[in-house]
Parts: sequence; C-alpha cells; structure tokens
Amino acid sequence: MDVKAILNERKESNEGDKSQKVKSSDSIILECRDLNLWYEDTQALKNINLELLKNHVTAIIGPSGCGKSTLIRSFNRMNDVILGCRTEGGVLFHEKNIYDKKTNVIEVRKKIGMIFQKPNPFPMSIFDNITYGPEVQGEEDPQKLEEIVEFSLKRAFLWDEVKDRLNDSALTLSGGQQQRLCIARALAIEPEVLLMDEPTASLDPIATAKIEELVFELKKYMTVICVTHNMQQAARISDFTCFMYLGELIEYGETTQIFERPRKELTENYITGRFG
Amino acid sequence: METPVLIDAEELKALEVALYSKGVQTKEKSIKTILFIFASIATVIVFLIIIFLFTLGGDFFTKYSITDFFFGTSWRGQDNRFGALFIIIGTLLVALGALVIAIPLGIATAIFIAEIAPKKLKNILKGAVEILAGIPSVVFGYFGRTVLKEWIEFSFDVSIGLCWLNASLLLGIMALPTIVSVCEDSISAVPNHFREASYAMGATRWQTIRNVVLPASMSGITAAIILGMGRAIGETMTVAMVSGGNVVLPNPITDVFSGIRTITGTIVLELKEAVGLHVEAIFALAIVLFMMTLIVNTIANIALSRINRKFSGKTKKKDRKLFDNLIKYKNFSNFKDFIRKNKKIIKRIIYFFVILWLLSNWIPILYALIAGVSLFVIIYFVRKIPPKFKQIIAYSFIIAMSFLVLLFLGILISNIVMNGLPKLLEPGFLTTNSRADKGGILDVLIGTLMLTGGTILFAVPIGVFAGIYLSEYAGTGKTIKVIRAGIDNLNGTPSIVFGLFGFTFLVVPMGTFSLIAGQITLALMILPTIIRTTEEALKAIPQTFREGSLALGSSKWQSISKIVVPTAMPAIITGVILGMGRAAGETAPIIFTAAVFVREGLPKSFFEPVMALTFHLYVLVLTYPNAQAQAGGTALVLLLVVLFMYTLAFAIRLYYQRKKKW
Repeated sequence: MDVKAILNERKESNEGDKSQKVKSSDSIILECRDLNLWYEDTQALKNINLELLKNHVTAIIGPSGCGKSTLIRSFNRMNDVILGCRTEGGVLFHEKNIYDKKTNVIEVRKKIGMIFQKPNPFPMSIFDNITYGPEVQGEEDPQKLEEIVEFSLKRAFLWDEVKDRLNDSALTLSGGQQQRLCIARALAIEPEVLLMDEPTASLDPIATAKIEELVFELKKYMTVICVTHNMQQAARISDFTCFMYLGELIEYGETTQIFERPRKELTENYITGRFG
Repeated sequence: METPVLIDAEELKALEVALYSKGVQTKEKSIKTILFIFASIATVIVFLIIIFLFTLGGDFFTKYSITDFFFGTSWRGQDNRFGALFIIIGTLLVALGALVIAIPLGIATAIFIAEIAPKKLKNILKGAVEILAGIPSVVFGYFGRTVLKEWIEFSFDVSIGLCWLNASLLLGIMALPTIVSVCEDSISAVPNHFREASYAMGATRWQTIRNVVLPASMSGITAAIILGMGRAIGETMTVAMVSGGNVVLPNPITDVFSGIRTITGTIVLELKEAVGLHVEAIFALAIVLFMMTLIVNTIANIALSRINRKFSGKTKKKDRKLFDNLIKYKNFSNFKDFIRKNKKIIKRIIYFFVILWLLSNWIPILYALIAGVSLFVIIYFVRKIPPKFKQIIAYSFIIAMSFLVLLFLGILISNIVMNGLPKLLEPGFLTTNSRADKGGILDVLIGTLMLTGGTILFAVPIGVFAGIYLSEYAGTGKTIKVIRAGIDNLNGTPSIVFGLFGFTFLVVPMGTFSLIAGQITLALMILPTIIRTTEEALKAIPQTFREGSLALGSSKWQSISKIVVPTAMPAIITGVILGMGRAAGETAPIIFTAAVFVREGLPKSFFEPVMALTFHLYVLVLTYPNAQAQAGGTALVLLLVVLFMYTLAFAIRLYYQRKKKW
C-alpha cells in the first residue's frame, strides 16, 4: 500500500498542526512489490504491496497463520532456508531488489538484522555471542571487539546486568535477558533495519516491558519491523500497523488510525476481538 | 507536498556494490562440492562392491552351471562340486529360527521400553540392549561353543550341541538390538494425541497400545523384523563357530539339533584353503548373500521412509493411501473379521503346516497339538475376560520377555567374566606378549587398538563430512536418494563381504595381509554408523541456531562450522566412540585382510600383518581345545575393551544431555 497516501492523509487531517507534518526524513527504506510466496503448494503470501518508512516502528498484526512471520522473514530472505519455499515479486531495500538473482544474501542480512520468537543465544559465552557477528565478517582486533560488546550491550539495556560475567555461558541468563542479548548481538553488526518476529511471545510481562522500552529507544537509530500477536503491544510500540489475514495485506496505516478508525470491517472485527 | 528523500547517491552506490558483490559465494560452492564428494564415497563403494562381486563371482558361472549351483545338493570343494542349495536353505533356516526367538522378545521389549516401563527401568533396558549390540560376535560364538553347547547337550540329551538351535538362539539374541531399537523408534514416533484420544474414550492402556499405537507403527515394526533378518543372514563369526559345520539339511526339516551350514559360515571356513574354482564358487556364494541382504534392506528402508512421512501432517496422495491401509488394518484387528475375510488363505496355511508336520515325525505333532489347544484356550478366554485382566495378561507377557532379555545378558556376561577372570588375574597375562596359545595378551591387545585407531583416522573425516552434507546441504532430489540408499545398503552389507572386498582390492595387490588393509576395510564398515550418528547429531541442533547465525550475516559454512558442529560435537564424539567399539569387536573384515594368529611382536609399519583380540579368540576356540583358559581370558579382555568404549560413549552422552539447556 502506498505510504505517501497515508502520509498525505495525515497531513490533511492534521492541517495546521505543525508537529504532525511529514518530516523530510520520512523516506521509504523497504518496499514489497507484488510479493507472492508459496510453501510447496500452499500460497502463504498473496500479492503484498507495502512501503515501510525509515526510523519508524511498523507492527504487523493478524491471526495465527495469516503470514505475518512469513512476510517478515521475506525481508531478509530468511525463507531461503525453508525447503520448498518459492518467492515471486520483489522486496526493495533502498530501491534495490533483494530477490535479484545476483544479490548477495549475506550482505542483505548484514543490513537487515533479525530477532526471533524464542531467544536463541548460541551455546557459548555472552561475550562470544556478541562478537560472533563482527567476527564472521572479519573483525579481528580484540580492542575493537571489546568496544563493540560494550556498545551493543549498553544499547540493549543489558550492560549493567552482565558486565561482570561476560564469560559466563549465555544459557545461564533468564529468558528476557537472553532476548536482549539476541538484540545486542544483532546490534553489534549495526543493521539499518531490525526485524522482530514476536520477540516477546515467550517472555513474562516484566521482560516484555523492557523489550518494548528498548524498541522505543532503538527507533532513533534504525527502522524496526515487529510481528506481534499482542494488539496492545502493537498499539503501544508502533507508529504504523499493517493487518494481515490469510496471506493478504488487508489494511495498512498509522497505528492510531488502524486502532481507532479502521476502514475495513475485517480489521475492526479483529481488533475488537471478534475473531483471532 | 515534500517528497520523501532517499539516502544520498554515494551511499546508494556503496550499497549497490555490496548487495550485488560475489562475496563468499564461490567459496561456499566449492565447500558444498567437496562435502558432496565425501557423501558420495559410501555409495561409490557400494557400487564397487557390487561390480567386484559380479565380475569375480560371475566368472564362476561361465565355468559352472547355474542350475547345478542353485539346485545341486552336494558341496565338496576338493571334488569341484558346488551345489549350494543346502547352504542357501541353511542360511534361511538359521535366520528364520533366529526370528522366531527375536520377534516376540524384541517387540515385547520395545513395547515395554516405549510405553510401559518407568523411567529408570527404561534406561536400564535401553542400556542393556545397547550393550548387547556391542558384544562382539566372536564372544557370542565363544559363549555358544562353551556354555550354550553344554546346556543343549545336557537338557535335550543330544550328542553334539553345535547345531541349528544353538546358532538360531544366538543370532536371535544378536538381532534383538536392531529389532528393539527400530521398533521402539517407530512406536515412540506415534504422536501422543493418538493415545490421548484413545484414553479419552475410556480405553485401557493395553487397548490403546494394541488398537492404536501398534497398528500405527506397523510399518516400522515390519521394517525392524526385516532388518533383524538381514542381520541374522549376514552374521558370520557366531554362525561359523556354533552351527556344526557339515553341509547337510536337517532331516527331518524341523530337527533343530542337526548341524547346519550357512553362506557366511562357508565363506569363513573354506576361503583360506580354497584354490582355483573353489575360490570363485565362494565369491558366487557371496553374491547370493549380498543380494539377499540388499533385497532385505531395500524393503526395510522403503517401509521406514514411509513412517517418516506418515506423521508429518503432509498428506500426499501416496500417504493418504497408506492411511487408508492403516484404517483397514485397524478393522482387521477385529480377530473374527480377519478370519472371515481370509478364510481360504488361513485354511491353506493350516493344511500346509499339518502336511509338513505329518511328513516329518510324530513328536512335533504332539507339541503342535498341545500348543494349538492351549492357544485356542487362551484366545477363547482372553476374548471373554474384561479388559483390565487382558491388560494384566498382556503386561505380564511383555514384562517376562523384557526380563528374559536382561537375564540372558546377565548370563552371558557373568559366564564370560567367570571363565576369564582366573586367567585375567594371572600375573603377566596383560603385560607379556603372546606365544600362540600360551603366554600373555599384551601385543594382541595393542594390535586391536592399532587397528581401531587407524580405522577411526580413515572413517571419521569421511563420515563426519558426509554427515554434514546430508544434514545441512542435501535436498530431497534423486541424487540424494541414491546416496542415502547407498549408505543404508553399506550399513546392511554383511561384514564378511567387506572382508572379501578388502582381500581382493587390498591384500591381493599388496601381496600380504597388512595393518592398513584391515584399517581401511574396517573403516568402510563403520562409515555408515559415523555418517548416520553425525547426521542425527546435527539434525538435533535446533533450527533457530542456524537462523540466528544466518541473520547475523554469516555464510552457511560459517554457521555450520562455528555454531552447528561445535554444538553437536558431544553427540558426534559419542558416535565415533561407538564406531570404535564396533571396529574393535569385528572379526570377519580382518580375517582375510590383516589378522594373523602368531607373529613376532607388533607390526613396525602399516604394511605388516597384525594380531587382534577377535581373531585370536576365534583361532583359540576353534583350533586349540586345550587352551580354554587362554580363550576365556582373551574373551574377557575383548569384552572389557568393547564395553569400556561403549561406557565412555554413554557417559559422554549422559553428561551433555544433563548440561544442555536449549
């Protein structure tokens, strides 16, 4: 869906209110064009057209099996690892199609990081978890690596909790800490976009609150796209929301608009809890 | 309106260059190719074995009539008479006898482990079965020639206890681990919601097992039985040691106390003395053996590959058909229906057996009558009594069978220990070199360790890389299917065939038995084990680790070599040690490639023959009737070496199972 239309509308509806004006930094960083995706014979994504704005948080909501995770995984070609998965159409990152034949997938993933549903720290020390990304990309200077570790952990609000035990196994951390470690790990390679696939689904409310706070902070430096099952969460953290149903993008707009004045009946039914 | 601004042109240019750069793609591709080559080695070897058997054995049929070979009843090497009919039938009879013992024991034990046993007992039984799998076949042979022989002679009052019964009993026990583990896997693979649905309808546990779990895992159980049969057909040393030796057919055919001859036994006993046409005849026998196991394994693997698809939720057309069959089978579980539908066939089977028995003699008829009547009585009552009691009866049978397995293992190990302990404690037995049937065992023991160590050096790199390819890179294409079939068949190839292969390809060109020939032959044999354990170890690593690594911009090989393989290392090491245990316990592959009974000290190079515990024991048992103490000591040392490796492997596995947290 055309983000310009959404922005224009916002402009019109808030005519006169200067703070709500479209800023020049509102540039499109990711764009889906006629994106279709199949697992074997089942179509999981149907003709998705979507533009995502830089330095904003976009939430993707919808009932189970609607293709949220599939969509977010197609932004950094994570679906490539699934056997029998076939993609048509394109995802443009800064107007470059990442599904182009000659695209280097590794470069795509360096620019577009990802956080998974279940915290997945590697079974090694906290320090090694963070340095893994820079190391596989050839960073060897120990001084630099230490700096990266401190910087990333601070940014992920984890530094104070783990600074005295960087050499402990990452598996000794609590679930919420593990997830923040995963975020720190992703931040260590300085991506432009951070994809989060239900990052709080396996966490308790306190850990969830911390992650949400973190997301708020993160959007200063990067673009965040977050799949969530929890509508309150989407309302709390996101600037834009898209609602998906059965592999189709039903509605896309500013979060306040989606939650207060949904245009489609399906959206309304979903956010009022009539199905889901 | 202000148009959204994109990043500036320079950055865009840099991005474009990075996005479309070649990066590590060429390196990744070459790694994949190298791994593929490793993965295909096993299959290439299977083809080599087939080609080698057919060129050598095929020659035989240009000189000797095929009909005379397959239907002739007289096998006399020195007279150039090679009628193999009795040998082939003997092989099948011994395998069938083994199945009669192994099927009830195996299935009952598997049910007990998977469904009934409390956790502690379950672990004990599982451990027992794995130990059973680790006991070398010469040790079984030694046990059969000493304890079992005397037991048969004493309790059945026959003059020679080396007979069909002895061989089948031992082979039945040896086939148990295969049957139990495959059965247990397929029973455990039945999704839990099937059981819950059955309980929810008020079924007892036994009713659930019988009517839901067993029918659902039927293809796995069938595969297990077939694989067990393959094991029994291919087993070599035990049969050669206990089956009596003469090429005769039991007369009458049900005489389990008659001596019997199998293909594997013939190869081992005759190859060393054979010359000229006799050698070629033996290779022709090896073809028959290989084809038998090939057919058996192919059937079993087809059956097994079906289960994997059955519960995956993806119902292709083929699977739906399979599911219909399953439902049909369930209806068959109504016994009366089954009989009604198959009246004709059942009648024919009964007539056939009645005639068979009438043709033999009257004692079996008496047995059969008693068994038939009691079976009828049992079925009659079982159908009447309430399900609760049925469950008690079924459980007692299952538990009795499981304890029988434990009991047998206990008898076997305690006998080996008792026989060997005096010799083992004798001063100098472990610290001095051997002098044929006298002296110590030190150089023999070291010889075994040298063989095993070298085997690992050859097998581990190939096996681990092949395992990595299969787990991480292989798709589902035709090539992969061929490779997998090759590995499965290499796994099912009888060890004696490896021995013949090594003999022809390594010993004949080099002109002598040698350490390296034995190591390579053993390595080929344990290769499938290592490939499989590596693959399983890697597959057990959660996909999220791989995705986590890829999402950080690592290449595929980086994520495999830095995350997946290190995480799976304990399990891979376990597999390697189990492979070592197997290599240390094997006799048939080294009997024609590396092992000698007497030599001066240890080999000084890879190209000299070597002594080994297994072969030492074999020769002592067969040709030195007065060296029983020496044989006992050797058997115990061999058992200890193998059990040590197995225990080590289990300890590593247990330690890391407790530690892992994901």
